[in-house]
Amino acid sequence: MARPRRRLGRESLTAFLFVLPSLIGFITFFAVPAVRGLWISFTNWDLLRPAQFIGLGNYARLLQDGEFWNALTVTIYYVLLNIPLQTVLAMVIAVMMHRLTDSVVIKGLLILPWLMPPVVVGLIWLWILDPNLGILNVALKSLGLPAVAFLGLPQWAMPSIAMINIWQYVGYTALLIFAGLQSIPPSVYEAASIDGASESQMFWKVTVPLLRPVLVFVLVTSVIGSFQIFDTIAITTKGGPVNATKVLNWYIYEQAFSRFNMGYATTISIVLFLILIVVSLIQMRLLRAGESDL
Amino acid sequence: MNRRISLWMALTFALSLILSACGGSPPGTASAPSADTGGAATSDEVVTITYWLWDANQLPAYQQCADDFMEANPNIKVELVQSGWGDYWNNLQTGMVAGTAPDVFTNHLAKYPEFAAKGQLVDIQPFVEADGVDLSVYIGDLAELWARDGKRYGLPKDWDTIAIVYNQEALDAAGVTLEELNNATWDPESGGTFGELIARLTVDENGNNGLSPDFDPSRVKQYGLIINGAGEAYGQTEWSWLAASTGWRHIDELYATKYNFDDPRFIATIQWLADMMQKGYIMPLQQVTSLGGSAAFNSGLGALHANGSWMIGEFANNATFPFGFARLPQGPEGRKSMFNGLADSIWTGTQHVNEAWQWVKYAASKDCADTVGEFGVVFPAQQSGVDKAIAAFQAKGLDVSAFTEQALEPGGTFLFPITDHASEITAIMSPVMESILLGQVDAASALPEANAQINALFQQ
Amino acid sequence: MAPNVTGAYRPKQQFPWGKILAWMAMALLLFVTLFPFWWVLRTALTAPRAVFQNTGSLLPVQTTLINFQRVLGLVDPQTAIAMGGSGQAINFARALINSIIVSGLVVVGQTTFCAMAAYAFARLRFPFRNGLFTLYISALMVPAIVTTIPNFILVRQLGWLNTFAGIVAPTFLMTPFAVFFLRQFFLGVNREVEEAAYIDGASVWLVFWRVVVPITVPALTTLAIVTLINTWNSYLWPLIVGSDESVRVLTVALGIFRSQTPQGAPDWTGLMAGTTLAIIPTFLIFVLLGRRILDSIQFTGFK
Repeated sequence: MARPRRRLGRESLTAFLFVLPSLIGFITFFAVPAVRGLWISFTNWDLLRPAQFIGLGNYARLLQDGEFWNALTVTIYYVLLNIPLQTVLAMVIAVMMHRLTDSVVIKGLLILPWLMPPVVVGLIWLWILDPNLGILNVALKSLGLPAVAFLGLPQWAMPSIAMINIWQYVGYTALLIFAGLQSIPPSVYEAASIDGASESQMFWKVTVPLLRPVLVFVLVTSVIGSFQIFDTIAITTKGGPVNATKVLNWYIYEQAFSRFNMGYATTISIVLFLILIVVSLIQMRLLRAGESDL
Repeated sequence: MNRRISLWMALTFALSLILSACGGSPPGTASAPSADTGGAATSDEVVTITYWLWDANQLPAYQQCADDFMEANPNIKVELVQSGWGDYWNNLQTGMVAGTAPDVFTNHLAKYPEFAAKGQLVDIQPFVEADGVDLSVYIGDLAELWARDGKRYGLPKDWDTIAIVYNQEALDAAGVTLEELNNATWDPESGGTFGELIARLTVDENGNNGLSPDFDPSRVKQYGLIINGAGEAYGQTEWSWLAASTGWRHIDELYATKYNFDDPRFIATIQWLADMMQKGYIMPLQQVTSLGGSAAFNSGLGALHANGSWMIGEFANNATFPFGFARLPQGPEGRKSMFNGLADSIWTGTQHVNEAWQWVKYAASKDCADTVGEFGVVFPAQQSGVDKAIAAFQAKGLDVSAFTEQALEPGGTFLFPITDHASEITAIMSPVMESILLGQVDAASALPEANAQINALFQQ
Repeated sequence: MAPNVTGAYRPKQQFPWGKILAWMAMALLLFVTLFPFWWVLRTALTAPRAVFQNTGSLLPVQTTLINFQRVLGLVDPQTAIAMGGSGQAINFARALINSIIVSGLVVVGQTTFCAMAAYAFARLRFPFRNGLFTLYISALMVPAIVTTIPNFILVRQLGWLNTFAGIVAPTFLMTPFAVFFLRQFFLGVNREVEEAAYIDGASVWLVFWRVVVPITVPALTTLAIVTLINTWNSYLWPLIVGSDESVRVLTVALGIFRSQTPQGAPDWTGLMAGTTLAIIPTFLIFVLLGRRILDSIQFTGFK
């Protein structure tokens, strides 16, 4: 290394000082809480009275808890509704922008929903989707179609929530992909077109592979985010109707803060953590993250 | 590298164990003071009592009570905080955990046994005895609802019953008279004349009513009846009045350890509601959930609407058409309304239990009852207040006798079902009731199973 | 050109149907994106009781500013209820200031401390460096709800409930993402400038502040903006640790405003007025920092 020789001890000390603030934050608000959460998950704590150690009692309960399995299914259903549609749509929008315009105004308008707090977005759509007075149903009715209780019917509620979140995040995702598109040198396309590649061949053989790093980023972050959906549901359906939108995060919140089962709530959140690790690892493996095809 | 990771993990783990051990186990009763810590303030020291309530409509009335109280007790300041029903309970529970709950709060019968069991409510029986509070002034059994095993957790402030709100224009258009409505009969098999009235008052977009063979249930313009929702485990305004008119009750006695949701009479009642929703006579559940029953009624989407007396003002302020209140239909066992009441409770974490008690006592006193009555928002728990409320409603052109007559009728009311495990019971019943009313499952197949789950809660 | 049949016959000056179609799709997209915002404003400007009439009208019905006055508490509750509202108000100025304080603290704290840590991880040699970094990274996968509950308990034990300290504490010193993001960026920065400074005898501290920070402004800005948006929009954490009015942020204030009388209808006009007010600050940030935000988003894709 070309660096001038300095005593390692001194460098270590400096480094330690650099890391210290973040280390304090990490230990206090990430490491200790995580370990503490693990401990709470072995108790029957209700927050108000002293906790009792019950070993794996909560974990045993979890296995037999129909509500938990429902929440898990509902969460996975949401992720499956949300991610493919959002990613494909974002891809289409990005390609469209790439072809049409680099206008800051248009890009800006498209990410406007992403800037909004999910609380605000939830409220907006709650109002628009109202089965009796909401503008979307008024429009459907004026077209001679029947009104749909988007958030009131079990079969519609989750697709509607997914739609709301796609509305909020698709512009943002599209912009990420758009940036990826712009970074692909035009010479690559020129070369491909000289070789006689068709439009669709160019897309699949050139664009998609070169976009891999961006797509990995988009997919990994949005899948982890989707598994933790909370705000939109808290504002719109609160887990209903018939538990159709009772995702894991909402179930945890409900157990912890309205049913006084803090120990059990923590147990579910630990399980969610394990699920996320597994999902992320699988994704990384499948997408061969970090490798670039260039 | 791997060894380093494990070393670090071990270190962090050890450190966190130490930290969490130092942090101590969660304080359970640490914040609960003994009765004497909140000793009387000296005359020149002003003590602030925080008081929470959820009903925005009642806020002005209780602000007036608080103003009067503060004038009489210059050393106590009462601060009112209102938050909506949904957040109210979450905030309250978080507050109890955090040590920031209010000194005094409006409590509900569905909630208080759980709070009491977790040691969050001050037993006010000693105060009641010391101050010689006369509990007989409260209407009916209201005071007793708040007592359990010799302890007492609240003094009643008000009561409520259920009645049918009607849209006068809708009645006129269908040629239905108020007398017909007041004398309607109902049973879960045929639906009685009440069921027929509902169909007659239902109108589709082509102007056909529910009895017409051309009636199109998918395009209903005006529903015969709107109920507030699926009613969770209580169905106070939604179905309890129908089910109870068959002789059915949620539970057999206060603090029962067994529910009756598997009773054939209850199953038949709920199935009747579900069928009426499928037929397009009662507004389908999915349409009610987002808007709420009262708003749907106020916007003219229904002819009849079942709701509680605490909503009278809501209709007066929001209905865009002439409306009135009719009696509940007469079931096989007569007319039955749930009789429910609110009370103020003191949180065990209060620093000023004596001042808190003074406020609780005043809020349940004749003076405050009269004040609240004059605002005409709810029926106070004492007769003089009720008279004032009736007068206040009359002054606004509202005849509320459908509610008061129900309360006075012998055997006309039944009590709110109070048991332990309320939040778990709600969690079990809500999705079941929703799926029945949405037509996804039969009441007969879903309810016995849910009931067994609920009864199992009491066996643990 | 490839022997594409349609392509072969297509003269160059032919009407660009594809482009037109794409522009129409873009217009539709913009409409879907923007219409909800108009609908919020339209409802906010509609008289409380008129909200049930002319539900299909694209313009406000009985246009009025009363909803904004109600929400801001300029009308007394009794009158507001009589008008068909909820009688609730948002202490908007207070909530706005609280949101600014909270976001400001988090942005400054997190960016500074995470930049320092990230630099150490990227450049400096110290014992357990890789192990510690792996630990940080593994925390990326811990769902927020796992730490939320223990953090809530911790904040309570510290006596920080309903204080700004309590609201900002968990993200003030670090988030695993911020450290990870900046470290990746520092790794990609050319070492030569730093080396030159070291040769001149500058300390690590000096090099970091005088050399590294200035040339990594884009990355730092990106992190600051993402942190700002996340903090400004957060709901659950400030709801449970800071619902008291003195520290209540905008999102929480709006959430609290939403809840109503039991079984009462949502006060839609009031809610939408509140929503409009909550959108305005974000919108202003957007107008002021628009290009920066766009650059930042495009930047995050390439760590």
